[in-house]
Amino acid sequence: MPSALSNLVKKEIKEMLRDPKILLGMVLMPLIVFPIMGAAINMSTSTIEKSMRTATLAVMKLDHGPMADQLIASFKALNVSLLEIQASPINEAIRNLEKTNITTLIVIPPGFTENLTSGLKGELDVYAILRSISLSEGAKASAANAPISIYEKTLVYQAVKQAFPDRKPENVLDPIAVKSYVMFRGRLLNISPEFLQGIFMSQSFGFPMVIMLLLISAMQIAATSISIEKEEKTLETLLTLPVRRLSILAGKLAGSIVVAAAGAIAAIIGVNFYAASIFSFAPAGSVDLAELGLSLSPLAYFLLGVTMFVTIISALALAICIAVFSENVREAQSLIGPFSLIVILPSLVLMFADIDVLPFYFQIILYLMPYTHSILASKAAFIGDYITMLRSIACISLFTIVVLYIAAKIFTTEKVITARLTLRKPKIRQ
Amino acid sequence: MENAIEIINLHKRFGEVKALDGLSFTVRPGEIYGLIGPNGAGKTTALRILATLIKPSAGSARIFGLDVEKNPNDVRRIISYLPEEAGAYKNLSGLEYLEFMAAFYFANKEEAQESILEAARISGLGKRLKDKVKTYSKGMTRRLLIARALMMKPRLAILDEPTSGLDIIHAHHIRRVIQNYVEKHGVTVMLSSHNMLEVEFLCTRVALINRGRILIEGTPDEIKSRYGVDNLEEAFMEATGSA
Repeated sequence: MPSALSNLVKKEIKEMLRDPKILLGMVLMPLIVFPIMGAAINMSTSTIEKSMRTATLAVMKLDHGPMADQLIASFKALNVSLLEIQASPINEAIRNLEKTNITTLIVIPPGFTENLTSGLKGELDVYAILRSISLSEGAKASAANAPISIYEKTLVYQAVKQAFPDRKPENVLDPIAVKSYVMFRGRLLNISPEFLQGIFMSQSFGFPMVIMLLLISAMQIAATSISIEKEEKTLETLLTLPVRRLSILAGKLAGSIVVAAAGAIAAIIGVNFYAASIFSFAPAGSVDLAELGLSLSPLAYFLLGVTMFVTIISALALAICIAVFSENVREAQSLIGPFSLIVILPSLVLMFADIDVLPFYFQIILYLMPYTHSILASKAAFIGDYITMLRSIACISLFTIVVLYIAAKIFTTEKVITARLTLRKPKIRQ
Repeated sequence: MENAIEIINLHKRFGEVKALDGLSFTVRPGEIYGLIGPNGAGKTTALRILATLIKPSAGSARIFGLDVEKNPNDVRRIISYLPEEAGAYKNLSGLEYLEFMAAFYFANKEEAQESILEAARISGLGKRLKDKVKTYSKGMTRRLLIARALMMKPRLAILDEPTSGLDIIHAHHIRRVIQNYVEKHGVTVMLSSHNMLEVEFLCTRVALINRGRILIEGTPDEIKSRYGVDNLEEAFMEATGSA
């Protein structure tokens, strides 16, 4: 015979993973929606790039000097799709161009060559022809910027070369080469501070994000699990079975952990696909993080595991305590909503800032929120700050013990059946 | 002989609301005892106390000599409780639901299997037991739940409105199942109902309660003759002063 606890856990997992709302909302949606979002953004970016590549420029040459010819030759050398149009009044030329797919008209006014050769600024008039308001249309309209900029650099190189024939133009233009080194945790690393900051950024964002997703989905699952039982009155039957009430609570917690973990893994995979599609936090180049002393040590892994375990247990127990006051799933979700703030606030704040740099009163508020300590522990893991990790684990464990005690109290009394959240009407004195 | 149920001066308050106000009665083993009364009379509260879900504010309730407040775990081993309008786990099949429930009562696999076969017979759901509960009609779900409540041969089955909301055919099936099961296994049944026909058909004794106390108790015939009426419905109206 399976033990009562394993029987309960199996039932919880089956019941929840077969629930289309949970399976779709918590597991399949993140796996499908995030990659689709990433692909959609990627497709839009590709479209913009493509439209920039395929943009056709029109040039009206009103200057007959060699520099105007050189500019057009430079465009052609860059394989820019170019249409040379006859000299005509600007308004008329633009009206004609509106009927085509050309988005930019570059007018080389008289005096362009003369200005450039006499040390003055050569002027160009660029007219963008917009047909709609979109990123790709905007990108097409700015298609002239890149070839003009390249021609400009060519002119500067030529001028530098003439002025300093015995020097390399790039040395004249960029005379100082900076080699970056970083002293980090007692080691001299041959990397730039920006590179290191990139790694820290990915961790600052990554872990609070994972903790936030995991906790919110775990709380929703646990709340749904208990409120479905109340809604269907299966909880009443369950509580009259010859099984310890604490086993029922433990079964709910364990079942919710498994389902929440599946949801969190799905969310992480989905977010990774999304992030990979649109941008990358990882700095360029292949660098061994272990070499930099930025990988987790076995002790840090262990402590991080303890942190996550205790954190999830407390969130689940908290959700169960709250959901007990509901009569159905909808009510439970509404009650859980405001409590999500104690997860979301520290996660969002600590994604962007270290707690030490925040105003004192705000630090106090954050320290009073239990899940701040989970995030602090996860951040400390990467710099091997075990003291902070242990202190955070102690704080979150204390909170977990209190919440578990309350949940156990609720489950071993009739409150689990009779608890209701009611707003008492004020008594009116007759 | 030890009483199946012994309730003495039972009180239960929910804040300012008095749900039970000195309820007392006894039920003998093998009886089908019915609690009837209007909405809010205290029927469900009394059954929930017997099922160890809630505790009395005062008084005592014993099931086969076990105090429900002091020995709830022992009581749970010998009772089964069917709440009013209860559901089953929608995403499990009927069979999985019965297997889940049987696992709490039977250490032996053969005994568990036997009880599941018994439940399958009681429910009369046949091949539909392999389908998920969410595909069942209300009547089918109630048959599954009745089967669950009786499959482990409890010494006391507590049934709150066992046929509530069911059509005539399903209600008739469930009444027959309860009656046959009691005759076959000598199980004691405590039920509540609004359906006077059902109570008259099933119950060996009846208690009519209102505002948490018993107004009258006896066999259906005794109650009818006391008020000189033809059926329990009229007796109910007379007893509550609604006639």
